[in-house]
Amino acid sequence: MTSLENLRNINARCIHCRACQYAYSGEPDREGKDETYTGMLQGCPAGIYFGWEGYFNSGKQWMARAFLNGELPASQELLEITEACTTCGMCETQCPNYIDTVHVTEELRAAVIEAGVEPLPKHAKFRDMVSNDDMRNPYNEARSDRTKWAQEKYGEQIDKDVKIGYFVGCTGAYRQQHVADRTASILKKLGVDFTIISDEVCCGSPILRTGQKAVFQDVMEKNMETFKNFDLLLFSCAGCYKTIRNDYPRISGKQLPFKTRHTVEYVYDLLQEGKLKINSPYNQKITWHDPCHSIRHVGIAIEKDILHNSKNWLLDSRAAEKAKEAHYEIPRVVLGAIPGLELNEMYRVKGDSFCCGAGGGVKAQFPDMALSTAKERLKEAASTGADVLMTSCPFCITNFNDGIKALKKEEEETGKDLSDLGSKLKVVELLEVLDELL
Amino acid sequence: MSNYNKVTDDVVKKLVAICGEKYVTTSEPLRHSYMAKGIMGLEAELPEVIVRPENAEQVSKILILANENLCPVTPAAGGLSGGFALPAIQPGGIYMDMTRMDKMTVDTENRVMVVEPGVKSGDAWRIFKTQYPDWAPPIPDGAPPAATVLGDAIERGFSLVTGVYGPQADMIMGLEVVLPTGEIFHTGSWALPGAKPFYRWGVGPNPDGLFLGSQGSMGIITKCAIKMVPHPHFKTVVAYGGESWDDVVKPAWEISKHEMGIGERTVMVQGGNYELVMTRWPKTNVPIDYEFYKKIGVDRKWMNYEVWAWSQEELDFTLKGIDKVYKDYEVHEKRTTPQQELHPKQVASRLKKPNKIAIPYSLWQAGFLFITWYCPWLESSAMMDEYCAAMADYGFPETMWVASIDHARQAIVMPILCFDSTEPGIFDKIREFNLETTRSFLKKGWLNYRPDPFVHAPETFSKAKEYYKMLVKFRKVLDPNLILHPGRLAIPWESVSDLPNPCKE
Repeated sequence: MTSLENLRNINARCIHCRACQYAYSGEPDREGKDETYTGMLQGCPAGIYFGWEGYFNSGKQWMARAFLNGELPASQELLEITEACTTCGMCETQCPNYIDTVHVTEELRAAVIEAGVEPLPKHAKFRDMVSNDDMRNPYNEARSDRTKWAQEKYGEQIDKDVKIGYFVGCTGAYRQQHVADRTASILKKLGVDFTIISDEVCCGSPILRTGQKAVFQDVMEKNMETFKNFDLLLFSCAGCYKTIRNDYPRISGKQLPFKTRHTVEYVYDLLQEGKLKINSPYNQKITWHDPCHSIRHVGIAIEKDILHNSKNWLLDSRAAEKAKEAHYEIPRVVLGAIPGLELNEMYRVKGDSFCCGAGGGVKAQFPDMALSTAKERLKEAASTGADVLMTSCPFCITNFNDGIKALKKEEEETGKDLSDLGSKLKVVELLEVLDELL
Repeated sequence: MSNYNKVTDDVVKKLVAICGEKYVTTSEPLRHSYMAKGIMGLEAELPEVIVRPENAEQVSKILILANENLCPVTPAAGGLSGGFALPAIQPGGIYMDMTRMDKMTVDTENRVMVVEPGVKSGDAWRIFKTQYPDWAPPIPDGAPPAATVLGDAIERGFSLVTGVYGPQADMIMGLEVVLPTGEIFHTGSWALPGAKPFYRWGVGPNPDGLFLGSQGSMGIITKCAIKMVPHPHFKTVVAYGGESWDDVVKPAWEISKHEMGIGERTVMVQGGNYELVMTRWPKTNVPIDYEFYKKIGVDRKWMNYEVWAWSQEELDFTLKGIDKVYKDYEVHEKRTTPQQELHPKQVASRLKKPNKIAIPYSLWQAGFLFITWYCPWLESSAMMDEYCAAMADYGFPETMWVASIDHARQAIVMPILCFDSTEPGIFDKIREFNLETTRSFLKKGWLNYRPDPFVHAPETFSKAKEYYKMLVKFRKVLDPNLILHPGRLAIPWESVSDLPNPCKE
């Protein structure tokens, strides 16, 4: 298991330059269409919402240092400030000292909890439900119902003895079954011989993000055991994907015995290999929101893996950055392969994409911040003139829809037209579109 | 010496009454979140309360309250100056985070902009880029995007045109100052109600110098009128190498002295050594032998010239002039000073403003410190030679940066001490290094750019006794209770030094 102490030397690299507060902190001359979206922009959801230095990564790094040095005791207050962060990783993209900012934040949360502070109420509920053998999900649902969504249409895929698994995740299994359904349908159409495993448990993402590592360890071990003989795990949930792809090997110290791919990436692979062509059109003007988990976090992990194995960062950093950038192109290649689709990019994209506001346990514990952040992103999406805000993450979709709902309510109450702020946007999951078109 | 009081609950209540509950906090984690020990200063104390005022009137009320209760006050524009933007001594008192005051106005007719403390370089650059593309804000060069225009100016820092215009403080046209006792006044022509900040020397003797470089200890500057600069778009960077510091310093002097000639277009002249490249990467993951750097085209030492011109013809003329100086130098001095072949990406990276160029030195180990000194330009070679030797003696890599101020009239010499901040005893070692070099440099008549309170200030003022006595007199007039940023500039003396107090000699 990792710990905050393991990150002491990495945390000690922070000189409090505050570059991490910006998107495009290294691109002052980046062209945009107007003053609002040009050059560097504020990029930290928590910092923007709360204003105090401690809510920005720059402040959190120094709280972590004080904690490590025994100058700042564990407290409920410290936990509350630290938990008010979506762990989106915008700060990590900006840091020229390659500080693993999100790991420091998550480990600080864990260290405070390990020191005896009770997790925040909503997060404690996650823990209780995920550690409950009758549930193993954060939605208070029965474990026995985990594959209920699939029983009618995909019954033959459940617990099938094959080497490719579709890791559905709790949200797909219990809340956004239509996404799970679409994903399974895509995989069938693509001829993938896959299985849905009834023994799957929560990937642990909401538990790990909120610093509850003991329970995380438990579900990680359970899933690792369940999937140990697989060759490939496919995902529809950005959070599960990031957690299993990035966090399982990092925290367990063991390489994954199977490969991992998000379904969008799997489609990308087939497109690149010339094995797939999308012929049906999707005649919509869209903008694309990069989910932090499957885009930024995976891109950063790719870059840092290359550097981790490099003896000469000066020479290899460029290649590492290119590999990261190539990962950011994946959804764009897929979107570009859809006839009729018109992509109008937002200003903050790829590694500098602004978070939807839902991650890191924020949606449950700090709903006002989550909503405010979603609105900021919806405004940016609306500024592109797109009709559809497309993404591929269940949490982004939920939070954006909540933001649009709030805007619509405001329209009703005030009689104002808030379409410039995104009230007329339609939020669409890319996997649904792919299923329709394939 | 003043005896400061701790911030009481009653003081906090009054601060809330002034700024509003939302903008005052005594939260222990949040107070720690403002800490910094690196870049510029290693010593910092924890503040007792943080306030975020909205305007000069609130600043004034806070200062009056602080005087009534004898609480120290530390103002911070953006707070990027490491430990310098934090309390130096205990009790930490009231920390004034000025980032809410972030208004900026631009007057292209009179070529001046007015900024509040919270205006950040990245934001100023964005606004100029979209609204005033023919002008540039005098943002600090080499400082990250969150550095503030005002913070850099009042600390007499670097701007992007320092090679021509001098330190950023030289570009100031007027200040709005809240004195430690709460009075608000303006300097320069601004002192006349309704007048624009068009004439720095204003209605009488100009007191700006008391506030510039005072590290926030003489008054709190809540507005600054500062020259903006023309922004021609024919730009490039050329670099020339050499084996010794003289190889880079002497030709730069020849070029820069062409004032009203090619020297006028070399807006930024800065150089360094190969260690400046090497220590931007982890010590364990980068070659440490010079041969590698030689192979990739990095000279042992080099000087960059950033050139701005109004046309390609003017740019070419300037580059030709620079090249001629180097060719002549090679012939006269029998030295080799090759022009470096810069990749377009290297040029673009060096032209980028603001940038993150100064940040990654923590990668070498885990922490770094800039120590900055000023000397006459042609003496900078000797300073760098001595500094590098001392760094080698103490086991630090010899990472060195130098830049011209005002046509190479002065040099800023800045060793970058790269170290592991988690290593036991490292801060003592740095202090010892700092003390040794400081004593030697002061004997030579060289000055620390921004004296830290525990080494540079006491050592310098122990020599410049008359100046210190006068400084203390001014300070006591402006700040009778010495509440503003105590410890800075070694006032009160005994709070930072065991050396004999010059005022008592």
